[in-house]
Amino acid sequence: MFKGNVKMAWAAIKSARWRSFLTMLGVIIGVVSVVTIVSLGEGVKRQVAGQINSIGDDIVTVLPGVSSQSTAGGLIGQGIATRGTQSLSDRDYAIVDQTEGAALTVPFSAVSGVPQVESRTYPEATIFGTNQDMAAVLQLKVEYGVFLSEADQNRQVAVIGKSVAEKLFQENVPIGRTLKIRDQDFLVRGVLEETKTSPLSTLPNYNQAILIPYPVAASLAGGNAPINQILTKPRDGVPPEQIRDAISQRLYFAHGKQNDVTILTQEDVLSANSDILSLLTQLITAVAAVSLLVGGIGIMNIMLVAVSERTGEIGIRKAIGATNSQILGQFLVEAVVLSLAGGILGVLLAIALNFVIRILTNLQPAVSLPVILISVGVSVLVGIVFGIAPAVKAARKHPIDALRQLS
Amino acid sequence: MALIQLNDVSKLYGLGDATTVALEEINLTIEKGEFVAVMGPSGCGKSTLMNLIGLLDQPTHGSYHLSGRSVAKLRTNQRAKVRRDKIGFIFQSFNLLPRLVVIENVALPLAYRGMTQTRRLKRASMLLAQVGLQDREYYLPKQLSGGQAQQVAIARALINNPEIIIADEPTGNLDSASSRVVMELLSEIHQNGNTVLMVTHNPELTRYATRVVYMHDGMIVHDEQKQIGKIPARARKIIFGQHQKTEEDDLAGVSALMKTIPGQDTIKKAVKKRRSRKPAKKHAVASRRGKK
Repeated sequence: MFKGNVKMAWAAIKSARWRSFLTMLGVIIGVVSVVTIVSLGEGVKRQVAGQINSIGDDIVTVLPGVSSQSTAGGLIGQGIATRGTQSLSDRDYAIVDQTEGAALTVPFSAVSGVPQVESRTYPEATIFGTNQDMAAVLQLKVEYGVFLSEADQNRQVAVIGKSVAEKLFQENVPIGRTLKIRDQDFLVRGVLEETKTSPLSTLPNYNQAILIPYPVAASLAGGNAPINQILTKPRDGVPPEQIRDAISQRLYFAHGKQNDVTILTQEDVLSANSDILSLLTQLITAVAAVSLLVGGIGIMNIMLVAVSERTGEIGIRKAIGATNSQILGQFLVEAVVLSLAGGILGVLLAIALNFVIRILTNLQPAVSLPVILISVGVSVLVGIVFGIAPAVKAARKHPIDALRQLS
Repeated sequence: MALIQLNDVSKLYGLGDATTVALEEINLTIEKGEFVAVMGPSGCGKSTLMNLIGLLDQPTHGSYHLSGRSVAKLRTNQRAKVRRDKIGFIFQSFNLLPRLVVIENVALPLAYRGMTQTRRLKRASMLLAQVGLQDREYYLPKQLSGGQAQQVAIARALINNPEIIIADEPTGNLDSASSRVVMELLSEIHQNGNTVLMVTHNPELTRYATRVVYMHDGMIVHDEQKQIGKIPARARKIIFGQHQKTEEDDLAGVSALMKTIPGQDTIKKAVKKRRSRKPAKKHAVASRRGKK
C-alpha cells in the first residue's frame, strides 16, 4: 500500500511538473543554503586547522591586549584588543625568549611602507621584522637563496614571498637585486616557496610578505618597532600549555601585575576559529530554516489545492472502500514525496555548487554525509508537518459531497 | 433474513425553513439474489436511496439493517470496510481514476484491503478477462470508449466479490450498443446469484430486473415483482412523468381503424413493424435524457 502510495504520489507530482517544481523551490533553496553553508564552514574549519597544524601544533602565540571576554572563545579576529596594550615591546620578546622551555622565539613586527623596485610598487605586500628562527617555527621553506641568518641582524636584507617576486621584480628568482622600503635599499636574499592560503586564517599570507631582520625594522620605524605577535616553539617534550602559563606569569609581573596580553596555544586558536565559524553557521542555518518554513507553507498550499482539485478522486476512492486513514496516508505521502524530492534536488544542487565554489575560489567546501542525511531528514519532516493538515482535510471529506464534484 | 432492510428511513437536507425531504419514511426489503430496478423522475430520491444503501450516506431517521446487522452504529472506517468488501458501485460517469491504467483501477479496492500487488493484479486481470477487456489492461481510462470504461468499472465493482452491486444509471452515458453489453454483464452477475440494485431512467432496462420500484418525491409509490424479459407498462408511463399515450393506446386506435378498412393483412404488418420499431425510438429518447 505504501509503495502504491509513493507511486501514485510520484505520478501526481509528474502530472503537474511545473507546479510541483515551483512548490519544491522553497525546500530546494533551504536545503541548498544549509548544505552549502555548513560544508563551507566545515571546509574552512579543516583548511584553517590544516594550515595551523602545518606550522606545528605546539606553537604558543602571544598577542597584545585582551578581548573584553577573557576567554579565547570570544575573539572575533585576533589582534582586535578591547583592553590592554596595543603592542608588545622587545622587552616582552626577551621575556618570552627567556622563558624556561621555550626553544625558538620569533617576533612579528609589521612595518608600514610600500616596497618599490624602480618605478614599480606593490602596496599589497606586508613587511615584517622578524628573526632567523621564523622559518623553523612556521616551517616555511625557501625555494631560492637562503633565509635570514643570525649574522644578518643589522643588515638590510630581505626574504620575499612568491607574489612579491612576481609582481615587484617580474621574475622568479630576483636574488641579488634590491628593493626600496622607505627609501632604504634591501638586498633580496631568498624567495619563499609558495604557501597555500585559506580564508578566515589568522596567519598572514606569506606569498605577499617581505621579511627583514627585526633590528633593521626597528630602526626603520625610528628606533623601536612595536611587535604585533610573538611566536614561540617549546623544547621537545614540553607541553605548550606549560609554556603558555609560564609566559603568562612572567608577563603579568613584568607589566606590573596586569593581565594585558593574550597567550594562545594552537588549540586555543583553533577553538576560537571554530567558534566564529559555528556562530556564522548558526546564523545562516536560521536563515535556511526560514526558507524551509516558507517552502513548507508552499507545500501545504499546493496540497490544499490538490485536495480540492481531486475531491472527486477522493470520493471514488472512498466509495470503493478507502478508509479515512488510507486517504490521509495517500496525501501525506504525496506531500512527503514532494518535499523529499525538493530535498534531494537541493542536495544535488548544493554538491554541484560546491564544485563551482572549489573552482572559482580558494575555498574548499566539504560536503559531509551527516549534513546530507540531516537535510534529507529535515525535508521529510517538512513534508509531514506541512502535509498533515491538507491530508486530514482530504480524509475528512464526506464521500457524497466528494462524489458530487464529479458530475 | 433479508439482505437489505430499510424501516421508516428518511433523509432530510438543510435546516429550518430550507429543509428538503429527499426520502420520506421509506420501507424496503430486498432479498439476496434480486435484481431491483429503481425508477422515477429526476430528484425523486433514487440516488439518495442508493447512497444510503451503499453506506456512502447515513439516514436522518429510521433504521437500516444490512444482512441483519444495523449499520447505524458503524464507525466511519467500518463503513468504509463494508463498502470495500460487500458493495460494488457502478456510476453513470464510470468514475475511473484517470491517472491509473485500467488494471490498476480494477485492482484498487484490493489495494485498500492490503493485498500484495502481484496477487491483486492477477485477480484484476482475471476480472478484466471476465468482462472481455483483457487486451486493454494497460490502457488509460481516457483511451477507452464509454462502454469499455463502464466494463472496467464493473470489473472493479466485482473484484471483491461483493454481495450487492449498486448501479446508478450505468448506461446513462452510453449508446444503445454499449448499453446492451453493460446490461448483459449486469444480468450475468445477477444470474450468478448476486443482488443488483440499479437506478435507471430507461424503461427498456427494466427488462433485466426481477423487481421494479417506482419512486416519486422521496417516496416509493409502487413496487412490483416481475419476470425477467418483460417490461412493465407502468415503467413506460413513469418515465415521461405526465400521462402519455402508451403503445396500447396507439394500438387501440389502429385496431379501430382496421375494422373499417379492408386489406387487413397489410395493416397488420404495418402494426407489427411499428411495434418493433417503437421501443427503440423511446430508448433513444431515454438515453438522451439520461445524459442531462
